[in-house]
Amino acid sequence: MSVEISEDQRDCYQEITNVAMGQAADRLARLLNVYVILPIPKINIISATELHMALEGANTSDDVSAVCQGFIGSGIAGEALLIFNDASFEDLAKLMKYEGPLDHHGELELLMDVSSVLIGACLHGIAEQLELHFNQGHPVVLGQHCHIDDLVKSGNHQWTQTLAIEIHYEIENLNINCDLLLLFTEDSVAKINQQVDYLLD
Amino acid sequence: MALPVLICDDSSFARKQMKRALPEGWDIEVTFATNGLEGLEAIRQGKGEVVFLDLTMPEMDGYGVLENIRKEDLNAMIIVVSGDIQPDAQARVKSLGAMAFVKKPIDKEKATQILTEFGILSDT
Repeated sequence: MSVEISEDQRDCYQEITNVAMGQAADRLARLLNVYVILPIPKINIISATELHMALEGANTSDDVSAVCQGFIGSGIAGEALLIFNDASFEDLAKLMKYEGPLDHHGELELLMDVSSVLIGACLHGIAEQLELHFNQGHPVVLGQHCHIDDLVKSGNHQWTQTLAIEIHYEIENLNINCDLLLLFTEDSVAKINQQVDYLLD
Repeated sequence: MALPVLICDDSSFARKQMKRALPEGWDIEVTFATNGLEGLEAIRQGKGEVVFLDLTMPEMDGYGVLENIRKEDLNAMIIVVSGDIQPDAQARVKSLGAMAFVKKPIDKEKATQILTEFGILSDT
C-alpha cells in the first residue's frame, strides 16, 4: 500500500500541528515561566528505514532519553515519541524546582512530567481540530542515556511507510531541547487524510 | 467604499480558514499575502487597513512586519492571529503595536467578536 499526501494536505497538517504545538508550548511556558521557541513543524511520509534518519535529523546529540506513548481512537492509531537531549536535564531540574538528587530516577521523573504535558497537549490539539478523539496509552520509557541508534534498533516496526509529524521544541536562553515525533500507523493515514480533506473542503 | 483587508499567512489552509471566518455581508476588499515581506508591501500599497497577521512565517515573520509598520508609520489596524499563544508572544506583539491577539484556529464567532470589540464592524 502506498501512503501519500498532497501538497494541500501537507499544508493543512502543518497548520494544524502548528496550532497544536503552540497549545502545548503555552502549557509548558506557563508551567515553567519561560518562552518556548517554535519552529515550523515537518510533515513527511517516511519509510521504516528512514525513521532512523528522521531521528538523527531531529536530534544530533549523542546521549538522549526517550518516552513513547501510544494513542488510538476514531479509527486512527499511532505513537508519540519524545526524545530529550540529556544535556537538558540540569536546566530543566532548576526550572521545575526539582529538589532531589538529579540521578537516574530524578531525570526519569522530569522526563515523565514534561512528556505528559507536551504529548498530551499536542495530541489533544490535533485531535480537536480534526474532530477526532484519541485515547492515550501509558507512557513507556524507551531508554535513558542512550544513543539514538539504540532507540531505533529496539523498536519493532510493523509498517513500511507512514506519516510522520516532527516537532522541535527549544526553550529560549536555556540549554533545553527536545523533539516530538508523531507516527501514525500505515492503516490510519487514509482515515486521517479524510478528516483533513473535510477541513480543506 | 470597500474596506481593504489583508490576510497574511504562509499557510494556504490558514488563509482560507481566515477568509471563511470573516462576517458575511461585510463590505471589504480582501488581499492575500504569503509571507511578511509580501504583507508589508501590500500594507504600503494601502491594501491593508485591517490586517490579520500570522507570526511564524518565512522571509519575514509577524514580529518583523509589526516593527516595520511602526518604523514606517504605516496606517494599519493589526490583529495577530497566531498558533503561538504563549504569554510572552502576546505581550511582544502588543508592545509592537498590534491591536489585538486572537488564538488560532480562528472561527466566525471569534472574528466577529474582535471586529465588533474594536469598532471595526458596526451594526449597520
